[in-house]
Amino acid sequence: MSDISTTTNSAPPSAREPGEPKARMMNDKKKDLIQKFAALASLMLLVAVFAMTSDAFLSVNNGMTIALQVTSIAYLGIGATCVIITGGIDLSVGSVLALAGVVAALAVKAGVPVPLGMGLGILVGAFCGLLNGLCVTRLKLPPFIATLGMMLVARGVALQITGARAVSGLGESFGELGNGALFRVVTIGDDGFPNVVFPGIPYPVILMVVAAIAVAVMLSRTTLGRHIYAVGSNAEAARLSGVNVARVTLVTYILSGSLAGLTGCVLMSRLVTAQPNEGVMYELDAIASAVIGGTSLIGGVGTISGTAIGAFVIGILRNGLNMNGVSAFTQQIIIGLVILLTVWIDQIRNRR
Amino acid sequence: MTPSTVSRATPEFQSAAIGAEVLRLTNVSKHFPGVRALDEVCFDLRRGEVHAVCGENGAGKSTLMKIISGQYQPDGGGIAYKGEARRFANSLDAERAGIAIIHQELNLIPHLSVAENIYLAREPKRGWFIDRATLRRDAQACLDRLGVDIRPDALVKSLSVAQCQMVEIAKALSLNAEIVIMDEPTSSLTESETALLFQVIHELKREGVGIVYISHRLDEMAAIVDRVTVLRDGRYVSTHDFAATSVDDIVARMVGRSLEEKFPERTSVPTDEVLLSVSGLTRRGVFHDVGFELRRGEILGFAGLMGAGRTEVARAIFGADPLDSGRIRLGDRDITVRSPRDAIDHGLAYLSEDRKSHGLAIKMSVVQNLTLATMDAMSNRFGFIDFEAEAKAAKTYIDLLSIRTPSPHQVAKLLSGGNQQKIVIGKWLLRQSRILFFDEPTRGIDVGAKFAIYQLLDRLAAQGIGVVLISSELPEILGLTDRVAVFHEGCLTAVLNTRDTSQEEIMHHASGHSRPTAPGAATP
Repeated sequence: MSDISTTTNSAPPSAREPGEPKARMMNDKKKDLIQKFAALASLMLLVAVFAMTSDAFLSVNNGMTIALQVTSIAYLGIGATCVIITGGIDLSVGSVLALAGVVAALAVKAGVPVPLGMGLGILVGAFCGLLNGLCVTRLKLPPFIATLGMMLVARGVALQITGARAVSGLGESFGELGNGALFRVVTIGDDGFPNVVFPGIPYPVILMVVAAIAVAVMLSRTTLGRHIYAVGSNAEAARLSGVNVARVTLVTYILSGSLAGLTGCVLMSRLVTAQPNEGVMYELDAIASAVIGGTSLIGGVGTISGTAIGAFVIGILRNGLNMNGVSAFTQQIIIGLVILLTVWIDQIRNRR
Repeated sequence: MTPSTVSRATPEFQSAAIGAEVLRLTNVSKHFPGVRALDEVCFDLRRGEVHAVCGENGAGKSTLMKIISGQYQPDGGGIAYKGEARRFANSLDAERAGIAIIHQELNLIPHLSVAENIYLAREPKRGWFIDRATLRRDAQACLDRLGVDIRPDALVKSLSVAQCQMVEIAKALSLNAEIVIMDEPTSSLTESETALLFQVIHELKREGVGIVYISHRLDEMAAIVDRVTVLRDGRYVSTHDFAATSVDDIVARMVGRSLEEKFPERTSVPTDEVLLSVSGLTRRGVFHDVGFELRRGEILGFAGLMGAGRTEVARAIFGADPLDSGRIRLGDRDITVRSPRDAIDHGLAYLSEDRKSHGLAIKMSVVQNLTLATMDAMSNRFGFIDFEAEAKAAKTYIDLLSIRTPSPHQVAKLLSGGNQQKIVIGKWLLRQSRILFFDEPTRGIDVGAKFAIYQLLDRLAAQGIGVVLISSELPEILGLTDRVAVFHEGCLTAVLNTRDTSQEEIMHHASGHSRPTAPGAATP
């Protein structure tokens, strides 16, 4: 087709390209950079403010505590980001994590080895995600409704199979995933008490980093990722370009469900007890972290790095406010306002 | 305003005769960026008359209507309404003055009743509450005046399209309208419904309402139309008494331009090798028994009025919509197309008429849009994208099509219409498609970009690609294609050799008004 260029280049006398849009485009790029930088900068600002107001805030120990606390929001946020990029939403993750956790615990209690039991929990999460995805792609239910239904069903099943009671007595090995850490350095002091030199990197934090990097690579470097953005940007155009829209959508819900399953296992493991009431409203934290990180609820836009920042903004706010003795009620108010503020800034950026 | 007090039954209007002038537009112009939609158009309307406005798609009929109904403000010229110079700030302003418009897509709220729709936002009130009794009575009175049998309590969603139209007309009456504009009112009506509509129009005429009537269906006009004004390319052509002219005459005036737009010389002739042949394609209620052949190196035009089924046929062949029956053959073997994916794998491509909503992922970059249909070739077996290959391929087509973009990574949304269209074309060229369906490829793009796309079509044909060009612009069809398939209401009515045909002949086949003197369908 090389000979096309000879004519198209010599084309029409009236082809014109005004210089004005070019200037505007440069401006847009700048705005984008500012937005990315602004999210990170506000995170830094939070850290700085809390470091000044509380002595204990800026320490390795507290850093690890925050990271550990952020993990559940982050797992769920990563899944939520993928779903939201396709233009969907997953409200069921809070319930799904509870169901996955209690299934894992009941399995372990019944004699299944811990890793297998937890694997089963993640599978339960994946299955819930599959059902969500099928409701959306096959039954053509709005994602909000499909996952709202799953939210109630999964919670109900979790309560049913446990008789609404916590599953405990799971043994120490069940707590390993949630409480263990890599590179933990402990010396025994002269007084016989253990002395923690370095608290180590908790396993959930490692999992979080691995999951974030894996999904970020999937989104940015693979065909599947490209198709996820294409579906969210314009599903019909994607379909007419040969993208299997239903399959791509399904994959994101399965991913979100699996990550919810993982979250359930990690949370229950941390408590060494499976609570069927765990994870209520977690889906909102997950969506909030994605939105604070710049993911558009209309679809087509969003990054894992943004969501990670969003998760840390929420986590650090909670931790820092706690350390400053701010009541839980006030915390809710503040986090609510932060969400409104960030999304409003995002709207201004997009209005142009 | 209390509708029950409305009375237009002054003796002057009870005569069926055409009355005094109610509206006059003098040298009205309207420009949009890059387009002169209306250029010094004159138009006048008398009480009790039906004045038809005719013209091809894009002739300026809609713009004219929108100016009369206050949706657009003219850039130049004057409007005199009831003898006074007026300027309507918006459609509400025009509506208050007595100008009602009945859109092709009806503007009723399905879940409200007929009465509630007629008096929407002007409900008669008693204190804080809607006065239901008055509402019903007034609505009934409006419907009675039209002589239509619709209950005021019926929900609009339970009505047929024709009945909805009657409700719209009743609403216009309740507004005290002195001018009613009707945009393609019969396009979705059956014959008997059309007859009922015409009765209502006669009723309106008797009441002294002036009617601006826009329709593609010239044959029907004889029953109601008094005068006809023809527009072409945004310019005024002529006004005639309908009785003193003929459909042929009107068609000739509508298309009467010479091929003044510049088309590139066709550099190739089609071969005899059949690339694609379809037969008996049917999708119930949309198109019926469509069959044609596309040859290597051929540009086949799809002509017809809007809604004739051209786009639908192309979409069905491409797997975007389901087919009820029919055969699709690629070369000498039958193929089954269940999804666009299947079609793409067979070397087909479809460029949508609706670029923004069906063609382009506007939030994605130029590169990402260009390679969207070719991701399988741009990635390894684990699905990892080869960014280098992708950038190289994208650059090739950005250069080839001279897509003007500050960077390959620019978001597609920020490019001009012509460049966006080139991206979508580039997507299919990059895929090395062998059969291209171009649906209105030059809609909404400037003249220069149009010319580049015409040249491209010719080049593609010269390389042995088969091109189907769906276009509502007859000069485009005549200037570029080898053969023309003409559609009318879901049927393929003629396949003509472009060299031996004329705009008039195509228009006649497209309007279902076959002229006995016309040469029959010809295939080479």
